[in-house]
Amino acid sequence: MFSPSKMWNGFKSYIYKNYGENPGSMLVHTGVLGWILSSMAQVYAVVFNNKISKEQKVFLIPQEIADAAVNILSFYTLTSGVKYIGSKLTKTAKLRTSDITDLLKKGGHILEKGQKRVENKVYAGDWNFDITKLDNYNSEIADKFKPFRNGAEVITGLIGSVISSNLVTPIARNKYAAIKQKQALSNMNKPSEKDNVNNVNYDSRMSMERYQNLAASKYSSGSLKI
Amino acid sequence: MTAVNLNIVKNMYNRLPSMQVSKDKVIDKVAYIGKKWSSPHQRAILGVTALVMQPYIDWKNKSVDEKTRKVAVARTVAKIIAGTLTGVALRAGFIKGIAAMSKTAAEIPANAKPFTKKLKQCLTPKNLDPSNKDALAQYRNAMGTILSLGAMIFTNFLIDAPLTKFLTNQFIKIQEKGENK
Repeated sequence: MFSPSKMWNGFKSYIYKNYGENPGSMLVHTGVLGWILSSMAQVYAVVFNNKISKEQKVFLIPQEIADAAVNILSFYTLTSGVKYIGSKLTKTAKLRTSDITDLLKKGGHILEKGQKRVENKVYAGDWNFDITKLDNYNSEIADKFKPFRNGAEVITGLIGSVISSNLVTPIARNKYAAIKQKQALSNMNKPSEKDNVNNVNYDSRMSMERYQNLAASKYSSGSLKI
Repeated sequence: MTAVNLNIVKNMYNRLPSMQVSKDKVIDKVAYIGKKWSSPHQRAILGVTALVMQPYIDWKNKSVDEKTRKVAVARTVAKIIAGTLTGVALRAGFIKGIAAMSKTAAEIPANAKPFTKKLKQCLTPKNLDPSNKDALAQYRNAMGTILSLGAMIFTNFLIDAPLTKFLTNQFIKIQEKGENK
């Protein structure tokens, strides 16, 4: 039977289990959630704004949705991509602390200079090496590894979010807005066709000046999420 | 084809030299960031770096005329300031609030009233491992961030939007004053 209390407890347990030891993932996922919620709010603001005419809404709603898609996709792919690099470097022990090196040396997982690689053996720093799968991971390595991995993931996640939110997204958005302005301008210059099968009334199309005012005045056209 | 590409990537990765961090100061700092930094820090860093990078990007956007660019820069700066202030404050506030309501049994005084006990544990997860303090701290960060995002849908309209508008007008006035000098 449906029980809100059970659901709430399940939600709390889910958050604890999934993010209790993964602060880097939490930052990426809540960042994406932030973009989704603010994008929804932006679309909502256009849909329910009585000051915007139906014709303008036909134009602005898809634009807002496309804008949201650019924001969300670029944030997720870049941030999780850069965080993955941090995660991979630490998990494979390509990037490690001196304490971890000592423990790995003890287990014979490090290929020393001049030593010949044993065929089919996976060494620390190899793509397929996974420090968390070692026999002595929980007993010896975890305490030293986890804080370093978490820190590396948070730092790389932050770098990814800065690149995506402050560099890639604004440039992509500016380019996209310029294309949209050009399209609006070329639409304006087209002669109106009364028999057009499309129901949009081209005589009442917004002027370029009005479009620019709208684009500049809607608060959502900025570049940061909530 | 994809398998071949992956093998190339794997081989290249395997050939890269390993990197070792030996300085205790650096190791401690990395661990500290992983343990203590969360969404308010992320939001603050995004805000500060945005303030450095985005106005410049808007100013260099030659696909619009100079007047539009000036307004765009003013709006961008205003939005970054408004968004960062509310974003950081709400995230930090919610995380603190969640921490107050997700105490472990050991954190509550023995003589606390039943209602107080219940209130202080209403957000404590059922699968909590009381010995793992870090996991609880990260849970509080995650829960606080998620709930603050819900609240920010409203503050986005109630605080960010009017504050952005106010600041934009102020910045435009400053720009105009500078031009008239």
